[in-house]
Amino acid sequence: MHALIINGSPRIKKYSNTDKILSKFTEGMKESGATWEQYEVSDRQQWDTMRDAFFRSEHILIALPLFFECIPGLLLEFLETLPVPEKLSTPNPEKLSDPMCEKHCNNDTKIEFSASAPTLSFLLQGGFSEGIQLRCCEAYLEILAERLGCRYGGTLVKGDNFGIRFDESQRERVTTPYQKMGSIYGRDGELTDEECRKFTGPEVFPAYIRMLVGVLFKTVVKKGFMKMAADWGCDRPLDDRPYES
Amino acid sequence: MILIVNTTTDTSITDEIREALASGNALFSTAGAKSAGKDASSAASGFEIVEAGTMRISYCVGCNECWLKTPGICALKDDYEEILKKLIHADQMWLITETALGFVDHKGKNIIDRMIPLATMNLQFKGKQMRHIPRYKQRTDVGIIYRGDADRSFLERWNQRVTLNLHSHSLGVFPVTEKKEAIACMH
Repeated sequence: MHALIINGSPRIKKYSNTDKILSKFTEGMKESGATWEQYEVSDRQQWDTMRDAFFRSEHILIALPLFFECIPGLLLEFLETLPVPEKLSTPNPEKLSDPMCEKHCNNDTKIEFSASAPTLSFLLQGGFSEGIQLRCCEAYLEILAERLGCRYGGTLVKGDNFGIRFDESQRERVTTPYQKMGSIYGRDGELTDEECRKFTGPEVFPAYIRMLVGVLFKTVVKKGFMKMAADWGCDRPLDDRPYES
Repeated sequence: MILIVNTTTDTSITDEIREALASGNALFSTAGAKSAGKDASSAASGFEIVEAGTMRISYCVGCNECWLKTPGICALKDDYEEILKKLIHADQMWLITETALGFVDHKGKNIIDRMIPLATMNLQFKGKQMRHIPRYKQRTDVGIIYRGDADRSFLERWNQRVTLNLHSHSLGVFPVTEKKEAIACMH
């Protein structure tokens, strides 16, 4: 199995948590004998290559961070440059009557895949720990696969990844489990296995954990954030209100 | 204050809104009657229209500087700062946007993604879910007017989630053909 992997993070590769996750994930793919090519949405110079690869790939994985409950603006901008599949490109009467709507009406390039429709799977990661935080975006990813004329290969959903950037020891702990998920993807070419579903962890935390973590937020976690800020040279309180007059 | 951010380059919709809000006392009273607890005089706080379609607004790069380096201030120096400064006084924000791939297009999404400085890094539980603690007291309800094909039920769901993060409420999502219904909610 050969996969096209698109890192949909707008952060440059060096600072991309999604890239750190993909490093482990692809190690797992290697174990299953799979190969891949990876591109970065954060580097516009790769967009033409990515677009060409999209049409000759049977297996595509888009890995992305959650940005305000859906996909990041930059990833969306890239995806907008892919021609739309034929059955969705038929202009509707409303658009035809609207002379300002050139962008949607004049897109007569049809998607042409080299063989059958590719299987498009997603790796969706976020900062908040609970699975429920990622479900809205997950719902969109299924819509997106259809809109791009692809077969939907499922989404690996996982939160609690904020620490990857800030803490070396956290990084290993957080990213290592993705290796096993990569081996499943390398084996199946999709992410619909029961193991992938379980990987998300709890949808919400039970009440006693919420109480405990709530206390940690006000103490240890808050201090941790202040330390991160100090390391970045921040000299203002984290709840500063710069535009309030 | 009602903030209207138009990311399309078509100003006919904002022209219509301006006309309705500037002269539409009848409209306000109709709308006011619909909303429990809010009287029509809140409309006196006014409205502002930002034509963002031709403005220089980047995507959010996810650098986290607005949370951890310069709290509340975006590291990207472009035309978005003007919108951010208005947002902290806005009771409502209406996003007028094109669509793509069943969703708002990237220009519309960028307006929402760049709202991140309105939250602080600090966390709390709100109900059963973690949320970032808001930076300002102002709560801004959000409504969307979209032009082109989109998955309306998904957009509804998304806007509910967007406003959950803003600790505010969704004003609904409206295809441009229902702009009158949207305008009736602008009060």
